[in-house]
Amino acid sequence: MSRTLKLAAVIGAMTSLPITPSVAAAENLKVVASFSIIADFAKNVGGDRVDIITLVGPNGDAHVYEPKPADAATVGSADVVLVNGLQFEGFLQRLVEASATKAPVVELTKGGEVLRNTGEEGHHDQDKAAEGGEGHAAAEEGHEEGHHHHGESDPHAWQSVHNAELYVKNIADAFCAADAAGCDTYRANAESYGQQLDALEAEIKAAVAEIPEDKRTIITSHDAYGYFEHEYGIKFLAPEGVSTESEASASDVAALIKQIRQDKASAIFVENVTNPRLIEQIASETGLKVGGELYSDALSDKNGPAATYLEMMRHNITTIKGAILGS
Amino acid sequence: MRTNWASATAIALLLSLSTSAAHAEEVTAWRLFISDHADPKVTVIDAVDGGKLDTFQIKGPASLHRSESGRTVFAVQGSAGVVTGIASGISFEDHGEHGDIDVEAPKLAGVEIAGEKPSHFVDHDGDFAVFFDGEGVARIISEKAVLEGKSDFRELKTDAPQHGVAVAYGSHVLLSEPNREKPDELPVGIRVADKAGAQVGGIHACPDLHGEASSGNILAFACATGLLVVTHGDGSPAIRHLPYSDSLPDGKTTTLIGGRGLQYFLGNYGADKVVLIDPTIESDAFRLISLPTRRVHFAVDPVRAKFAYVFTEDGQLHQLDVVKGEIASSLKLTGPYSMDGHWNDPRPRIAVAGDRIVVTDPLQGVLHLVDATSFQKTGDIAVEGKPFNIVSVGGSGQTHEGE
Repeated sequence: MSRTLKLAAVIGAMTSLPITPSVAAAENLKVVASFSIIADFAKNVGGDRVDIITLVGPNGDAHVYEPKPADAATVGSADVVLVNGLQFEGFLQRLVEASATKAPVVELTKGGEVLRNTGEEGHHDQDKAAEGGEGHAAAEEGHEEGHHHHGESDPHAWQSVHNAELYVKNIADAFCAADAAGCDTYRANAESYGQQLDALEAEIKAAVAEIPEDKRTIITSHDAYGYFEHEYGIKFLAPEGVSTESEASASDVAALIKQIRQDKASAIFVENVTNPRLIEQIASETGLKVGGELYSDALSDKNGPAATYLEMMRHNITTIKGAILGS
Repeated sequence: MRTNWASATAIALLLSLSTSAAHAEEVTAWRLFISDHADPKVTVIDAVDGGKLDTFQIKGPASLHRSESGRTVFAVQGSAGVVTGIASGISFEDHGEHGDIDVEAPKLAGVEIAGEKPSHFVDHDGDFAVFFDGEGVARIISEKAVLEGKSDFRELKTDAPQHGVAVAYGSHVLLSEPNREKPDELPVGIRVADKAGAQVGGIHACPDLHGEASSGNILAFACATGLLVVTHGDGSPAIRHLPYSDSLPDGKTTTLIGGRGLQYFLGNYGADKVVLIDPTIESDAFRLISLPTRRVHFAVDPVRAKFAYVFTEDGQLHQLDVVKGEIASSLKLTGPYSMDGHWNDPRPRIAVAGDRIVVTDPLQGVLHLVDATSFQKTGDIAVEGKPFNIVSVGGSGQTHEGE
């Protein structure tokens, strides 16, 4: 069973909300979002008062993203930098260092509950971290050139709508700190969006309730749905760990196939940020039919079925429910 | 089970402190491997205290290459027709929340690969490919085999001798394609071969191919027309051509190095310029940077991702800000080293060892040390002969008592 940890202390040296001069009211806040889901939250909170640049765009995989010099320049000129934290953005420390930014780098998972990466379900060495939970900044120090680690915490906190509300609150706090004149607007936008999140969560719970309990085990590519599982009671198995950085080994896949048969998994899904080949192979070997594409670590492009967070979560639960009940 | 993080942290901290006190020690080790311009030897210097660790006699003057892991250094002796593997003695083991360092004496690995005119050496994910120009043959060996002292290499032949290159790219090999009409000239493209050596797809045109580098998950070859950009495709390498932008003057890149920490490439472009390349964008992919005089050598900083370094013939080391695309600082280090004369005349080379930038000064027989943070010269290390090519290996990690 996963352990939940209070997030506050997990936040390492990267997190800071320094005193920053408020920008002039006439200028929009220049906001950098590390990946597409955060950008969508920021857009809902910031509205017309913010200009948002997203580093890892739709369908992009932040686990393996390589920052460019242009990204460092973008971060260097930002007023606010919004990141997930929990070592999701493995590139963050080097990017922030290269940018020499004076903007606050705000970890949006701050103050929430964090799931531990259990590490025993077909994961890899980097996910079997020992006790400690130091921030990425500390983890990279004292290491050979360019090496970095993934932490012991599951970073995919947005997969729980309850946590999404915390992301939104933290974004509003960050925007208020940087632009006091717009604070009322940010709070009102956050409140309004929060109501939509509440409605979304109720929809997800209602959809899960329609799925028989003995059919609530499904397969995805990587362990991105721990929070969804924890919050809504669907069990996810995956050949890859919480990061897509390391490929699953043959023994991982063999163990997963054995577990799929034991647990009588109901459906299997590809993810938008991973190569579908492994999932298709597992589907072939287990006789499961691929039930569709789930969106895990990134939104779709604007023409896709998951162009916003609300659409993403609705698409995912609809796809899961449809595949299970149709199987 | 729910655990309050604050208490978990405290417990972890106590465990860490007690563990550290009893068993773990933080160790930093950096080594410089330096070849001589005239003599067949490789000198190993402890970059932390400046002392000489060893000197290895080899068969000819060498260019040096370090593996990505830093466990192996290769001495490519073109005139002697041999490549010699050296175990650096420094290795790391990733333990998730920390890394362990193992420091042993450097030694010849016991692996030599012989052939006519070895030239380009490429390490890709622990597989080394050496191209032997005189035969048009690539010999590929794994780092694991080298460190075990086994000369277990495999060969892939191209159609003709050429000044070529090969890259072991997962289950494929990328091989330069010789210029059939003018065999003495540079290769004209890249061929992809599968594990059995069979060609996959057509030839990817790359006229005057010279220069290869990796940065993150992108591999690039420099051509007269632009770059060939290689990424992992669905089942085989995906290769596309990135043409030089119209805004660039006439010229081409013939030496390419890859950024570490930030994904970019740095190449020469004309005698007194370098070009910063972001192959992931189509517009403004190339940023040209003029230098005060002709360029001698350049290197990226693997620790401070924002910086690369360029040495110019007026004896200056320049700190290049790759984010802004401009020279941030310059430091006079040596007397003039004119680029007139033979391309392989003894001239300075750059390596970065942790917080130090090290520049060879072959005519004076010294290594100049520059603090990478302040960009000020901090000292010299005397080296017998004409210290020429240089690579650094090292880092920090924990050692555990009793291991």
